[in-house]
Amino acid sequence: MKRIAAFVLASLALAAGSALAAYPERPIKLIVPWGAGGDTDVIYRAFQPFFQQHLGGTIVIANIGGASGTKGAKEAKDSPADGYTIFAVHDSIHSTYWTGVADVAYTDFEPICLVSSTPSILTASPKAPWKDFKSMVADAKKRPGQITVGATLGSTSHFFPALVEKAAGIKFKYVPYEGTAGRMNALLGSHVDLGESNLTQKGKADAGHIRFLAIATEKRSEEIPNVPTLKEEGVDVEYAVNRGLLAPKGTPAPVLEKLRSACGAAAKEPGFAKAMKLQGTLVHYLNAQEYTAFLKKNDQVNKDLAKELGLLKR
Amino acid sequence: MFDLLGAALVNIVHVKYLLPLFLGTLAGVIGGALPGVTVTMTIIVALPFTFGLDPLQGLAAMAGLYVGGSAGGLVTAVLLGIPGTPSTVATTFDGYPMGRNGEPGRALWLGIWGSFFGGMLGGVFLIFTTKPLAEFALAFGPWEYFSLFVLALSMVAGLVETSLVKALVSGFIGLIVTVLGNDPMLGAPRLTLGIPFLEGGIPFLPVLIGVFAFAQIMSEVEKSGGAGAMTQPANSDANLKVSQLKVIWEILSRPFLLVWSAIIGVWIGVLPAIGGSAANIMSYDQAKKFSKHPEKFGTGIPEGIIASEAGNNANVGGSLVTIMAFGIPGDAVTAVMLGAMTIHGIQPGPLFISQHPQIAYGIFAAYIVAHPIMVLILGVGARWAMRIMTITKSTLFPIVLVLCVIGAFALDNSMDTVYVLLVFGVIGYLMVKAGFPLAPFILGAILGDQIEINLIRSIMTDPNPWLFVTRPISGLLLLAAVLSVVFSLWQHKRTQRRLAAAATPPSDEDIIDF
Repeated sequence: MKRIAAFVLASLALAAGSALAAYPERPIKLIVPWGAGGDTDVIYRAFQPFFQQHLGGTIVIANIGGASGTKGAKEAKDSPADGYTIFAVHDSIHSTYWTGVADVAYTDFEPICLVSSTPSILTASPKAPWKDFKSMVADAKKRPGQITVGATLGSTSHFFPALVEKAAGIKFKYVPYEGTAGRMNALLGSHVDLGESNLTQKGKADAGHIRFLAIATEKRSEEIPNVPTLKEEGVDVEYAVNRGLLAPKGTPAPVLEKLRSACGAAAKEPGFAKAMKLQGTLVHYLNAQEYTAFLKKNDQVNKDLAKELGLLKR
Repeated sequence: MFDLLGAALVNIVHVKYLLPLFLGTLAGVIGGALPGVTVTMTIIVALPFTFGLDPLQGLAAMAGLYVGGSAGGLVTAVLLGIPGTPSTVATTFDGYPMGRNGEPGRALWLGIWGSFFGGMLGGVFLIFTTKPLAEFALAFGPWEYFSLFVLALSMVAGLVETSLVKALVSGFIGLIVTVLGNDPMLGAPRLTLGIPFLEGGIPFLPVLIGVFAFAQIMSEVEKSGGAGAMTQPANSDANLKVSQLKVIWEILSRPFLLVWSAIIGVWIGVLPAIGGSAANIMSYDQAKKFSKHPEKFGTGIPEGIIASEAGNNANVGGSLVTIMAFGIPGDAVTAVMLGAMTIHGIQPGPLFISQHPQIAYGIFAAYIVAHPIMVLILGVGARWAMRIMTITKSTLFPIVLVLCVIGAFALDNSMDTVYVLLVFGVIGYLMVKAGFPLAPFILGAILGDQIEINLIRSIMTDPNPWLFVTRPISGLLLLAAVLSVVFSLWQHKRTQRRLAAAATPPSDEDIIDF
């Protein structure tokens, strides 16, 4: 009996071993927790061919949107940890966890790598009375809590202006507009005064339909050299929406290894950098180890911020 | 402008562009006709195929898909009484009765040509008024949206069949459906009973399909009685032959109906929020209000089909306006188109038309050319589709139900949506049995979210409630809502009186006092 058991175990181990050696032997599902055509979707659709090439397998993008990106996160968390489901994450996983929108945390996953960063730009409506960041701050000090900001509450477009608020010692009024499209509409129609945007909206700024006040990077962007950084304006805020890849907790180490090395190679492809430039996005590769530290730090920042905003639910 | 458009039209009929346009339209028609499969789902499935193409090829395919999808749903609506897409709900009101009255061919072709002419009128608006329309749309803040959706909701009064009370209850249940789940702003759970799935709210599509498909099929099964009747074809003596000229004349002899439906469709499309699902019901309601014989609506008259189909195809033109003028998607379909543009490195925005005239006018041209292609595909397909009427019910109904379940599953790739379908199928069936009309329910379910979100936005922007009345556009819309209710009640009362005079005394609750 024991012998049979040993035999079964051995053959199982062998089967598992050969399965791993052959990984990936069927298509891998990449869950994008946002709708098709959104920023995250577009970035991963550009990444997909390079990633496929280095992984030597097929990757299928599945858009599972809804509930501020938490529906797809939940689905990814509950998927089998066999390497055939991976998850396209961005910073909102921290904020939605701490604000109690969802029960999924980054600790439910194994990090693969960080792929990209999209710097945030503080953007004003065309009818807003100020031409630059300083006069906005002066105005905000004169009438605290009156300047309206359009934002997806509890997500990155809320946390970025909140950081500015905190650093500049001013107070905004937040009005909920879900998603970038809704927020841009409200800005164009001057139904809110301020909002977060990024370089993909450059066309509208060029046409004078919105106004970039300041970019949240360390140095000015080559694409918009006239827009100052928040640091230049005396506000020490750097902010970007960071996108990376995760796998469900418990994914076998050899599989993770394959995913990690393929991700690193794909992120270094010049073709990917070119595609990201069109997206107003920087390729920002961090390997699994660096990414783990990054996630931990980012999570703490988001927790503190949620607490200060009075949104902390845990 | 005309030279650019002319050049684009000449360009688009090259095989290089015509083939993707044709395939896109075909995919749209099929996706639209399958109950439970929406245009959005179809376009997401089609998106990866366009990556290898040049930008205009990809966008032509998508424009065709959008046009085809908006029309394709009418086939299912007319032949089965189930809306193939949410934008064909109102088509079932008169299209299905006409089909059952022995004229499915006429109903089908009224829908096809109604879509064609409505869509072409939408195209005229798209090409000539993109800029002013889009700028007017931007003037719509949360106050205006709130009032507009209140106006839309006031149409419940116009959709009353027999009892006003039952219609109101039905609309109210629809609104309650949208309240379930986490609140849209800060995610406070409401009526979720601790069930994680309910936190995300109830998805609209399985509700729609459940209510219509299930209720429709169950009452058909009931009507046909025992197993013997089920082996009868759905409608064997249906008149499949139609005179095209007669149908076209039926539409063109009602120019006001056609133009007004198209205007409503375009306008709802321009406003980035709800799209075709509201446009067709609003057009239908308006047609009923302006009609000399509103009591005939719902019995299978051509006006109902024309209004709904012209409205939903003109809506496509309207949706394209916002993306062309500002690079902002008005609905999920245009969001995917926007994504396709950025993948090819084209930055849509206010400068899009002047910076990329070839692509912009190429999209206009693709939109126009997609319409005759759609008529062609549906024309060939119609002969084939009408064979559905000759399939026995015992074969047809299980297939339709399976398609509905697959559609609901594909929405989310999860079983939860299938359970939603089942639950609302039962609710819809019980409502039909108890004499509650389904249309107000659907209207409530479509509009509830938007009314709530825009109300909260307005109050959070400025706590002054009088802004709803003092902002001119918002005030006018609210006034229109009040007038719409009063008019509907008057029309309803008049109809009731006529019926009463005709013979049977109405039951108590059918009499409306005001």
